[in-house]
Amino acid sequence: MEQAIQTTPIFWIIIAGYFALILGFGSYFARYNKNTNDFFFSGRRFSWWLITMSIVATGVGSHSFLKYSAKAFEHGFSSTMTYMNDWFFLPFFLFGWLPIVYYTRIRSIPDYFERRFNRNVRILATIAILGYMIGYIAIGFLTMGKTLEPLLGWDLYTIIWVVAIIAGIYITFGGQTAVIFTDLAQGFVLIFAGLLVFILGINFLGGFDIFWNALPPDFKLPLAHFNKPSNFNFVGIFWQDGVAGSVGFLFMNQGLIMRFMATKSVNEGRKAAAFNILFLLPISTVVVSNAGWIGKAISIVTPEKWDASIKLDHVFTQVAALVTTSEVVFAFIIAAVVAALMSTVDTLINAVAAVVINDIYRPIVKDKDDKHYLKAAMYISAGATLLGVVAVTFFDNFPTLYEAHGFFHSTMTPPLVIAIFLGIFWKRYTTLAAVSTFLVGAFLMYLGNKYPAGLIGPFDHGIAMDPDHPYSYIRALYNTGVCLASGVVFSFIFTRKVEVRIEKFTANIVVNAKAHLNNTEQPISIVGRVYYTVVWGFTNMINSFVLNAADDEKLDGITVWTLDKAREMFKGSKPNDVPGEEPIVHWKIEESTESYVRFSHNQMKEMAANVGDLVYISDKRRWLGGLKSVHSVYAEPHDEDGIVYMTPDLIDSGLLVEGKAVRAEKEM
Amino acid sequence: MHELTFFRTWLPVIYLYVAGGIIFSAGMLIIYKSSRPMHKRWFYVLFFGYFYYLGIHTFLTYAALNF
Repeated sequence: MEQAIQTTPIFWIIIAGYFALILGFGSYFARYNKNTNDFFFSGRRFSWWLITMSIVATGVGSHSFLKYSAKAFEHGFSSTMTYMNDWFFLPFFLFGWLPIVYYTRIRSIPDYFERRFNRNVRILATIAILGYMIGYIAIGFLTMGKTLEPLLGWDLYTIIWVVAIIAGIYITFGGQTAVIFTDLAQGFVLIFAGLLVFILGINFLGGFDIFWNALPPDFKLPLAHFNKPSNFNFVGIFWQDGVAGSVGFLFMNQGLIMRFMATKSVNEGRKAAAFNILFLLPISTVVVSNAGWIGKAISIVTPEKWDASIKLDHVFTQVAALVTTSEVVFAFIIAAVVAALMSTVDTLINAVAAVVINDIYRPIVKDKDDKHYLKAAMYISAGATLLGVVAVTFFDNFPTLYEAHGFFHSTMTPPLVIAIFLGIFWKRYTTLAAVSTFLVGAFLMYLGNKYPAGLIGPFDHGIAMDPDHPYSYIRALYNTGVCLASGVVFSFIFTRKVEVRIEKFTANIVVNAKAHLNNTEQPISIVGRVYYTVVWGFTNMINSFVLNAADDEKLDGITVWTLDKAREMFKGSKPNDVPGEEPIVHWKIEESTESYVRFSHNQMKEMAANVGDLVYISDKRRWLGGLKSVHSVYAEPHDEDGIVYMTPDLIDSGLLVEGKAVRAEKEM
Repeated sequence: MHELTFFRTWLPVIYLYVAGGIIFSAGMLIIYKSSRPMHKRWFYVLFFGYFYYLGIHTFLTYAALNF
């Protein structure tokens, strides 16, 4: 394509400079990685505000400036819908998924499926989750390609390949701590850049009154028309984004889960999630959408300045070029957006590596040192990047990024969402029902895709069917419905009693078939051998799906009904919930091969702590956000007030500074 | 552009907070069914959030139609 927006070398120097700055920032914090555990999870040490701001870059990066500006230009303030419908699922997250993930130290979503069901369900979940994340990476690459397309004038796929190579270099610098800190910096920069476009846009138009009065009332309504047009309507987007998307973001986004695992406690995680949804999402939606609103107002007030021939996905770049009269400011805004997209993609690539290493590679290649697994993670990251680039071709078929993303969410999230949800909140949900959710649910979704008019039509709320992209959004309602129905119906058919019977029955057949195959006294014919081999293989497979069906204890701590058990298992004894003070003390080293801290009798009383309780010790400077902090266990007290004795390993992993006081909080 | 019919103005707001409210209530009921001051506080924060967003959408719809 032609270069739509002219740039000079200064523009590209600023872009490269911004990237170098962010890379340097990330690699500085990468030195806090001591092993693969740090690389993927960065320990549970950070304060809520630090995690909240780092989530902004993930949210704004993935739900990007481009796709919302395009919809905002077309449909007005209703582009904010998707950022303002996440609260409904928060009770499930704050009191269900978050404490379960945190207290049971689940490493990944497939890990949850193994604990809740068994290894075979884990394999199904791993396939589904990897598909979900690779799709997300592809959308990230496509968005970056479309951001740079009008600036470079190159072919879209050439840009995407170049971007993918840069992303590969970018990820190898950091690990999770680096990702958190680069995202933290970018969270601030993105909000600043987005609001700057809005302020410059209002200034360009001549004031807020001109902007507001130029737009018709229909354009300013916060929600779209109930059921039309088919490519942007309220009810379809409610089910696609408000239900499938919200749950996907809160429950299935491995990158986000890893952020919450990095908070110093469950309560800090709750604060981060609530603050993000209450205050930062409404700001974020203005940040990502306003270029579309400004563009619309410019096209009405000064139509001669607006290029009406541009593609919708290029609205953001066009507005940024128009309202920033300085090339330096324009370059800064574009750099901020592209770097944030890079962060989102890297978070996902890092998450894919975490899932593949922990769920597939480590169980097969055991007992290697950390260096080996880190190297394997690098290769997996490169593979995920390559698959992401290949998957771009599928999403490029949609008219806009928004619809590509909508179709993707509607299709990929329902089976996983329902399986996670029923697993957490319904004790009677059985292993075979979970398998049915994936397999029967996927089959019914395939049928819906093949016969949309007959199967999705009854749920369409009056939305007209577009024959090229039938029911991009409302299919989420059908898909969620069939997966939920599969899960519930099969839970009633394959109750746990039935599963136990199947387990015994198939185990007997397996033993019997094996006896026939191994019988040397009465050799069987070739046909008999084939028959018993098939019987043995098939029943063995069925048996592996119902293993441990009667094990009641495996539900401890991983459903909402047994959360108290999760806390008890996390601590190793009964939690102590008596509220206490948070004293500031100075630390001294106490040589020991064990790991513990010792406070004075008086300070133990202040904190209402007992020997064996868990304690969180952090540098008293709150602005560090927990970067220098460590968790430990209270040991026998001493008599020196104002002093805490700590073992050397804690000083080392807590990165505590000599002479700097620390704050102590009883955890439980 | 659409005409300002009920389908364009208030029906989406009503549908969002009725359908969303059913989902939200199910979550709150599970919490209730499954005394710690911290938990009680969060229970109230969750209720606050629902009405906070209901207020925002009601105000924005009213503002778009009247200002």
